[in-house]
Amino acid sequence: MTESSKDLSDRIWDIFSSMKLGLALLGIIAFTAAIGTVVPQIDQAPQKAEAVSQLWITMGFTHLYSAVWFRFLLGLLCINLIVCSTQRFRGIYKRTFKLTPPSNLARVPQKNRLVIQGELVALRESVQEVLIQEGFRFTLSDQPDHWSFIAIKRRLGNWGSLVTHLSFVVLVVGALLGSLLGFKGYFMEGAGTTLPIQAIEVSKGLISETFSVRINSAEDRLLPNGERDNWYTDMSILESGQEVARKTLSVNHPFKYKGITFYQANFADGALFTAEINGKSSPVVLRDHRQSFYQAPGTDLFLVTNLERNLAKTPSVVFQVYKGTGNEPIQTGQLKSGETVNVQGAYSLTFDGLAGFTGLQVKKDPGVVVIWLGCGLLLGGLLLAFYWQPLVISGILQSESGKQGNLTVGALSGKMTDSTHKALEQFVSSVTKMIR
Amino acid sequence: MLESLEIAMFYSLVIATTLCMLLYFVWLGSKNELIGRLATYLTIVALIANVFAIILRMITSGHAPLSNGYEFLLTFVGGIMAVYLFTEFRYKLRSLGAFVMPIPFLLLLFIIMSMGPDERIAQAIPPALKSQWLTFHVLTAMFAYGAFAVSFSLAIMYLLKFSKKEDEKKSEPKGIVSRFPSLERLDELAYKVVGFAFPLLSLCIITGAIWANYAWGTYWSWDPKETWSLITWIIYAGYLHARSMYGWKGKGAAWLAIFGFVAVIFTFFGVNYLLPGLHSYAQ
Ligand code: HEM
Repeated sequence: MTESSKDLSDRIWDIFSSMKLGLALLGIIAFTAAIGTVVPQIDQAPQKAEAVSQLWITMGFTHLYSAVWFRFLLGLLCINLIVCSTQRFRGIYKRTFKLTPPSNLARVPQKNRLVIQGELVALRESVQEVLIQEGFRFTLSDQPDHWSFIAIKRRLGNWGSLVTHLSFVVLVVGALLGSLLGFKGYFMEGAGTTLPIQAIEVSKGLISETFSVRINSAEDRLLPNGERDNWYTDMSILESGQEVARKTLSVNHPFKYKGITFYQANFADGALFTAEINGKSSPVVLRDHRQSFYQAPGTDLFLVTNLERNLAKTPSVVFQVYKGTGNEPIQTGQLKSGETVNVQGAYSLTFDGLAGFTGLQVKKDPGVVVIWLGCGLLLGGLLLAFYWQPLVISGILQSESGKQGNLTVGALSGKMTDSTHKALEQFVSSVTKMIR
Repeated sequence: MLESLEIAMFYSLVIATTLCMLLYFVWLGSKNELIGRLATYLTIVALIANVFAIILRMITSGHAPLSNGYEFLLTFVGGIMAVYLFTEFRYKLRSLGAFVMPIPFLLLLFIIMSMGPDERIAQAIPPALKSQWLTFHVLTAMFAYGAFAVSFSLAIMYLLKFSKKEDEKKSEPKGIVSRFPSLERLDELAYKVVGFAFPLLSLCIITGAIWANYAWGTYWSWDPKETWSLITWIIYAGYLHARSMYGWKGKGAAWLAIFGFVAVIFTFFGVNYLLPGLHSYAQ
């Protein structure tokens, strides 16, 4: 490596180890994230997002959170955090596991200091006694001209901020895994239908799995008081025609199979028919409000339906048949449950009753476990940083005259000056009590 | 029956909050110990009324208080009072009351002025909101936001005292601010309160993400409310860093704490009332 390239890599390292850069990045990320809540986003308000001026669309402001430059900012922040953490690792390790007792008076923390006078041996013994009682870990140093100690409590607290910082990187990695290896899709199907997983509409990623999904039933269940209980879907997974798993899912109770999760997202009403063509009958499920159609095989006849919502106990439907691309129905009618009608001499149609249509969100996200790991680390790190603050007390005992001496103790005041001071006072009073 | 009891609790809360706020003001000016005690007792009464109102609401509706803005504000008010009372007792800091209590007072005033009775009644919640994670979500939000309100008030006190000190040059300030704790102490307390709240806000965001993942399969969807809670989180992260690394104690830190609370308020009011909301179930 040449001199100048070493310089350059050093310079880059320096830039990324700066906390100023980190805080600036955080600020920029917060600011741009805020812009995204004002400019309409494609995911959330597609029509409005398209109405935004072309320049903004090109710059990615209408899909801000997935825009390249936004991800670039997150990437920079991650590099920044990794560099910072690497640099601080040794220091934290030393402050936690390699504490050295003070070798002279100047090494005892100056701001928070107290002095105890007493007999040398008694002081030494009571200091050790108190340290053990209060659960400190400590190191002693016995020198000809002095005796000193350093003690630490809640030492893992030192790692809090490092763990917090790395957790952020873990979170970003988790999100990245999800967007690289996962997919997101949606389908709405009526009870009784089977569809291959590859056939669902995907909004992100690609599906490589090959099993099929059968909707056994879909139900909109109400509570006795008329409020909605939940939507329920009884579904099966078929591997080459064989049922290999079955489960009833509902909102907030998803179903997972081979890393793919099905979430109850929606529900719609529909009707179940039987169509009989040349002696062969097959089930047909159609969504209410003409949201789906049935094209009888070998014909250009299209069937749609509307549910009748009346007070009668027996459900009924209105059906319409269109031919080709015609705008006007060529046949309409109403059917009660169990009734049959002949459609254009091509097939006979029997209305069997109501059927639910279930809308399922389908997702594969191998990053989710990493996300939960990151969340756990984040919380653990924060708890260590704020609720488990280490306390470091050190002291040096110097003889004054013969058997008498001065013990100077001090505590490193971390972020909480007054609580450190209290802890030091308490330590001193315990030691004083013991030598009396 | 329970409903009318809840309404009675709500109005007791309003009255107790108003009175204790006024008493804290009077105490600040008069130094009368009796008035100070009364103010504290009334705050306790207000908190009890608040807790009962929330519990009654949970009994009648059968779910955590999250079906509308009224329920959210009620828990917010409860969080502020709980954290405030803790701070007052722990740090013997009654002068803080005069700066904290106007916040719940204004929030309650907002409920009374802007929400009709039909906006306050318990509403049926959609299936998606039936999740235990949301209970934790609300609980952590309550204490985190309550604590941020308290740190906001501490920052205001800091700035008031600071500007008085500037005016009077070297001499110790007189008047009301002389009853405040020292500048260093105000600063450190604000930091402690934020340090308490920051992990809670993180937990709040995380439980929200876990719930969203159960409900729709996305732990984070960048909807405006989520984004604003993230922005709030970043501002407070900035506060913690600026303070511990650059020794940005004092004025700068106080302004950041104020800024952070503005973001908290915006996350609720701004997102619900100004931005095209998607978190629509919260409205
Ligand atoms: C993702 C956002 C970040 C979060 C949530 C975060 C969180 C924290 C927390 C909780 C602490 C402990 C603070 C305290 O005890 O007062 C801390 C300290 C620190 N942070 Fe960050 N931080 C973030 C980003 C950064 C960045 C980008 C840098 C710089 C590159 C950085 C550098 C530091 C340093 C040097 C400390 C001091 C550690 C100490 O006092 O022992 N942080 N951070």
